[in-house]
Amino acid sequence: MRKVPNRHRQWLIKELPALQCAGVLPPDRVEAIKAYYETQTRGGTHWAIIAFAILGALLIGSGIILLFAHNWENFSRPVRAALSFCPLSLGVALSATAICRNGGTAWREAAGIFHALAVGASIALVAQTYHLPGDTPAFMLTWALLVMPLIFLLRSTTAYLVYLALLCGWSGVAQNAYGQSAAFWLLFLPAVAHLARLFRDDREANDTATCLAALLLTLCICTGIVLERTVPGLWIVAYSALLSGAGLLGLWLYGERDGWGNIPKLFGLIGMVVLAYIFTWQEIWREIGWEHVRCGWQYRAWGVWLDSGITLIFLVSWVITAIKAFRRDSIETLTLAAFPAVATICFAVGTASDRACLFNTLVFNAFMLYLGTMYIVMGCRNNKLRQLNSGMAILSLLLVTRFFDTGFSYLARSLVFIVLGTIFLTVNLVMVRRKNLKELNP
Amino acid sequence: MKKTQLFLLVVLAAAQFAVLAAMITGKERVLRDGEEFRFKTRPIDPADPFCGRYVILNLEENHIPLPPDEMPTLVHRQVLYAGIATGTNGFARFSGWSRERPASGPYLKTRYCGEYCVYDQATKTSIRKGLRIELPFNRFYMDEAKAPRAERIVWDSTRDTNCWAAVRILNGKAVIEDVFVKGRPIRALVAETPAK
Repeated sequence: MRKVPNRHRQWLIKELPALQCAGVLPPDRVEAIKAYYETQTRGGTHWAIIAFAILGALLIGSGIILLFAHNWENFSRPVRAALSFCPLSLGVALSATAICRNGGTAWREAAGIFHALAVGASIALVAQTYHLPGDTPAFMLTWALLVMPLIFLLRSTTAYLVYLALLCGWSGVAQNAYGQSAAFWLLFLPAVAHLARLFRDDREANDTATCLAALLLTLCICTGIVLERTVPGLWIVAYSALLSGAGLLGLWLYGERDGWGNIPKLFGLIGMVVLAYIFTWQEIWREIGWEHVRCGWQYRAWGVWLDSGITLIFLVSWVITAIKAFRRDSIETLTLAAFPAVATICFAVGTASDRACLFNTLVFNAFMLYLGTMYIVMGCRNNKLRQLNSGMAILSLLLVTRFFDTGFSYLARSLVFIVLGTIFLTVNLVMVRRKNLKELNP
Repeated sequence: MKKTQLFLLVVLAAAQFAVLAAMITGKERVLRDGEEFRFKTRPIDPADPFCGRYVILNLEENHIPLPPDEMPTLVHRQVLYAGIATGTNGFARFSGWSRERPASGPYLKTRYCGEYCVYDQATKTSIRKGLRIELPFNRFYMDEAKAPRAERIVWDSTRDTNCWAAVRILNGKAVIEDVFVKGRPIRALVAETPAK
């Protein structure tokens, strides 16, 4: 169903009788237009209204948390216990109003974020009144579990973001306090289910893009926290498969669109560049082959199954998305698809030999060089400044880092900087001129 | 559709209220029916972004003493039950432990946190003295203006000043009732102290 702002619809409906009287539109056309706008379109709210509603609810919710955190110890214990229900009651009332009024995006999002924060404020107030111990993982888990149904009930993106933020926080504090946070994967499933529903409804909607970006970011942060690291270095395979899979998913779902129009692709490409750059350092490859990273009570024998299982899931997802998005004529797709294969081969080489650090580092230096060159060539060929500058930035990063790494003389360093800067400026100048020429002679 | 959504919201709200109510009633029951114990403490003041300022109760009694030759095999964070007794000085101390819930006597449900060791200057070695345990009463929330003052009062006092937390314990669960400094409730003492 197409989104059309309410005021545009109302204006058109008001205009129709006038157009009919003037003989511009016959009566049956007028009725057809009315029927179309009633059944085939839905009202949209201006983004500023949504943004201010969310911001307002966020500020009020946070303010309530801080207000109670002041600790009004003049109130008796029963009064404070009764007060604990107030934020939650307000949140429930707001959510009920949003449902009853068939609330638009602004209502749902404001209710979602306020209700989610109110749950946290209420739990915090009970903890404060009864001096509960500082068990942060338990606090965050209770909060997250009580917020989770709101995502489905209100279809609220803000509640979804709060839930994902709580998951990130919980996985970190639980790993620190309990030595493992494997339950993250169970808690992550509802977030995946909600996103799947959004995809089914409308994959082009802003809500879908926001939720997808948040989900990928959460996955990226939490995978590193949750992995048990019983197979040191396995994260190299897991992360390369995850980021490449995200990029390929974007290419599969949204095609060759760039920038914010294709968030998974953007996420995958940036992730691939960052990861490839990290892999150019020898220290990264040194831990491969160790028995395990964690020790004492933080070491768990079953971690090997968890880490391997997660990596396998990422690898399978990467293979599926690579098959679906595969295009021989797209060098970007081929590079994204090849990245985990290169990383996995290097990991295998690192496991087999103790002296593979230098080899793996050289491979990824070459990969970065290839990435930079690829984007420069693509930018020149497609006449896209963004691609060209990305390629330049990748190359500069690699060269500047290596240049510091090997300790050249001051003269050599100054020459490299001057040459790099000149190349940047010259190529940009050439591109701008080409663009101007193209505009003058289309 | 709207009715279903409202019904589901009522169910969710009921669950959310029930969790809060269960937290409150459980603590109220311990405060009403629990046996009172005094734990020696030396509080310091930090802050929590959600719950506000509190004083950490640096409890002196944070382990279960064991004979040097007895060191049971326990997993980190394993649930155990610590028996509580009142010493001759009137303060609580942990008197023993079990994996199963004790049939009689006051006890605290807690978790194993590792060995409790003391460094011996004479032999230059670390000697195992008992089991370190997680104490489910390590925070005392206070007014944001009073908590720093409370810490100052405690540290200004001489080291032999009696600071203790009055804790009520029932069926292994514990709730702090109040914290006392120089024999008086810390809140009353802070209220009488002018802010610097």
